[in-house]
Amino acid sequence: MPGLLKQSIALLRGFLITGRYLFRPPVTVLYPEVKTRVAPRFKGRHWLTRYADGVERCVGCELCVIVCPSQAIYVRAAENTPERQVSKGERHADQFQINMLRCIFCGFCEEACPTGSIVMGQDYELAGYSRASLIYTKPMLTEPYPGASGRDPGREV
Amino acid sequence: MAAEAPRTAVTLMIDGRGITVPKGTTVYQAARSAGVDIPIFCYHDRMPPLGACRMCLVEVQKMSKLQTACTLEASEGMVVSTTSPAVRAAQESMLELLLINHPLDCPICDKGGECPLQDQAFRYGPGRSRFIEAKRDHAKPLSLGPVLALDRERCILCWRCVRFGEIIAGDDALKGFERGFASEVGTPRALPVESKFIGNTIAICPVGALTSRTYRFRARPWDIDPVASTCTYCGVGCSVWLDVRGGEILRTRAREEPEVNDAWLCDLGFFGHGYVAAGDRLTTPLVRREGRLQEASWDEALDLVAERLRASAERGPGRVAFLGGRRLSNEDASAAAGFFRDVVGTPHLDHRVDAPPDGASLGVSWGLRSSLEDLGRGDVFVLVGCDITEEYPVLWLRIKAAIDRGASLVIVHAKRLEIRRHARRELLDRHDRLAPLVAALAADETVASGERVHVLLGRLAMDGPDGPNLLRSADSLVRRVNGTLHIARGRGNDFGAQRFGLLPGEGGMAAPGILQGAAAGAFDLLYVAGSDPATAVTDGAAWESARSGVGFLVVHEAFLSETAQAADVVLPALVLPEKDGTVTNLEGRTLALRAAVKGPGQARADREIFDLLAARMGVVRGHDTATRIEPVARIEPAAAGAGASPSLIVVVADRLFTQGSMAGRCRGLIELAGTAHCLIHPADAARAGVTDLGLVEMVTEHASVVVQARVSDVTLPGQVLVHRGYDGVPVHALARWSPAPAGVEVRPVAPPGGETP
Repeated sequence: MPGLLKQSIALLRGFLITGRYLFRPPVTVLYPEVKTRVAPRFKGRHWLTRYADGVERCVGCELCVIVCPSQAIYVRAAENTPERQVSKGERHADQFQINMLRCIFCGFCEEACPTGSIVMGQDYELAGYSRASLIYTKPMLTEPYPGASGRDPGREV
Repeated sequence: MAAEAPRTAVTLMIDGRGITVPKGTTVYQAARSAGVDIPIFCYHDRMPPLGACRMCLVEVQKMSKLQTACTLEASEGMVVSTTSPAVRAAQESMLELLLINHPLDCPICDKGGECPLQDQAFRYGPGRSRFIEAKRDHAKPLSLGPVLALDRERCILCWRCVRFGEIIAGDDALKGFERGFASEVGTPRALPVESKFIGNTIAICPVGALTSRTYRFRARPWDIDPVASTCTYCGVGCSVWLDVRGGEILRTRAREEPEVNDAWLCDLGFFGHGYVAAGDRLTTPLVRREGRLQEASWDEALDLVAERLRASAERGPGRVAFLGGRRLSNEDASAAAGFFRDVVGTPHLDHRVDAPPDGASLGVSWGLRSSLEDLGRGDVFVLVGCDITEEYPVLWLRIKAAIDRGASLVIVHAKRLEIRRHARRELLDRHDRLAPLVAALAADETVASGERVHVLLGRLAMDGPDGPNLLRSADSLVRRVNGTLHIARGRGNDFGAQRFGLLPGEGGMAAPGILQGAAAGAFDLLYVAGSDPATAVTDGAAWESARSGVGFLVVHEAFLSETAQAADVVLPALVLPEKDGTVTNLEGRTLALRAAVKGPGQARADREIFDLLAARMGVVRGHDTATRIEPVARIEPAAAGAGASPSLIVVVADRLFTQGSMAGRCRGLIELAGTAHCLIHPADAARAGVTDLGLVEMVTEHASVVVQARVSDVTLPGQVLVHRGYDGVPVHALARWSPAPAGVEVRPVAPPGGETP
């Protein structure tokens, strides 16, 4: 007899917890209609950032290429000319591609970047219907305006 | 020589290990031979030690201060430490000091990733600097010409590049300027830098101070797949790395090969790969329809050629001739020779397209008569009509090294060569009067007493008006002094073409004979591969009449050359860096080619084309049917009575950098080639009223061209010098095959549109 009572109490206690949560607001959201905020240091899609004056930070040094463990990055550098000063100094990235299918979002590229050009943003919705659409090119990766990635364009690196 | 037996070996201790080395070895070399790493910047193993950078400091017992390992000779019982705390501290200090003014702009520096300074700063450096002051600030980069960029901020003043120009190349292209803190590297004369070997300074610079302008920012070391291959320009056959990224050759580097090029290349080799990726490569076969060359399929083109070959065979044997071979590999040459000899059945093959009928070139086999190494051991060098830095630059480095060891150089030429200051004797005369100078050399003390005399007979001598006489004089000279006569003639793989049978067979005609025969209607079909006779034949009219006299012209080409434009069928060919195979260099050595990149469109290897044609002719061929034939040496007597010599003659000379079909498509080289010009001696210029940089009209018996004149004493009185390989001076149009020198009249032309500043 005492055993049956004990089990019934445990059962009721369990239902009590369920009942308590039944009247609390849910933690899940109705994705994709509703979206949550991600952590500030979340590693989402990459951005190539600009200085506050609009000049690109990337100098095409290819350090991200060599550090990338999944070999997802392709860079082809070119020389700046007085007529076309893309970045500060002599060199800029003429082509910059990240294969989002290969990327494992480890953040090594961000860490290796000597000018703080490549940063990982908050965007995680990176699905696509073709492989080609998931190779992000330089126009897709470059910030449309300084600070568009959410990073301070006035920071040093 | 000391009477007592000298000690030949010494034993020393380096880092606790006993090492025995020959006497005279430096501590650095001893350590390296034992696998002990000592950091260096200024030391280079092809040059004597200098001790400028202080990076190689080591601690030696019983010596009060640290010593530079590169300059210290190893001696018996020496105890050396390369890792003691004092040495470590010195290495850290040296790097901290070297980096005071180094901009550390590695992310934008082309040397990044393959930089000794970077590597050693990581390995031996302190990791931080105590210097917070502003660094040296220079304008950068400084362009020192079409191929070289100088960044003075990055320079650590090791003097490797300066010493390369002094010791290895002998051209003093770069020099140190100013003193102390303000020291910098620069050019002693005006820009651009004057050197044919400047690419080597880029290779040996231990920092990113000297970089290539054609490779600038195009790749990182980790992007590159290096392909070990051979340079195919001049015939020395230097070993190279072709650095490939994304199916394109981005740069060429020297590959160490002590028996051929040691560790060096000339700038033609360094910067001469751009033509491979040129946009105007032929990608499909072209067939002439309704008077125009139009694209066709391989089947259509090959069927047409095979049909014409069969039709010719029905008319009789030997009605087909083949010209070319310089740009073919050994395998291609062998396939061509086999195809035309065995399948087509003609003895009329020749690769010596640019040889005139009355010179000395057709009578002898081309190339060196000893190995390059043996040549380098010579003690007397006689260059007869051989402009070695323009024709075989890397061969000059070997001769320069011999001169530094005490050998003598004698120059016999119709032009003042740039290496004249290294010569013990320079004998100059007009182009048609060189033979007596050579004959007189037998009485020259140095030449007569030389133990290993090497006479190099060049193209200017052999194809000149006095060629056969010069050959005879040179031949009797080497017999007299027991020397060696080298025929410094041929470029590219001419030596492979010669070795694998692209020479007239029994009853066959040589190249000039083929052209004359073609003009007379002796051939139904002329086949050209690996050559551009329309510009290479020195008598342009001979080519034109040959072309119009032959019914059908088939050309293998990578570009729509002048010959290809005149062809009935043009078959797109791969160029040598796109093929696996071998080439033969001028000493007869077989060197490997590796396909670095894929060819464009439907282009095929020449060998494959010949095999496809053979199959259409009913013969299936393998690749191992090379028939080697030795050319028959025959020296024709010189034509007597050349007639009165005209007051001014045209001399055609070779230049390393030209607007040719390959070099003319390479960035950097085309700027080095500059514009077409003729060289006139000041005395003649004054007489004709010609001013430097003014336009002149050169009128020969056969043609007239307007060209810029340079007044210079590089040429001699009585002769106007023009260079092969420029569109602006069609040298093949100016003269005809003739044993007499070609006379020329020069008159100034007022530039159109008035004065130019």
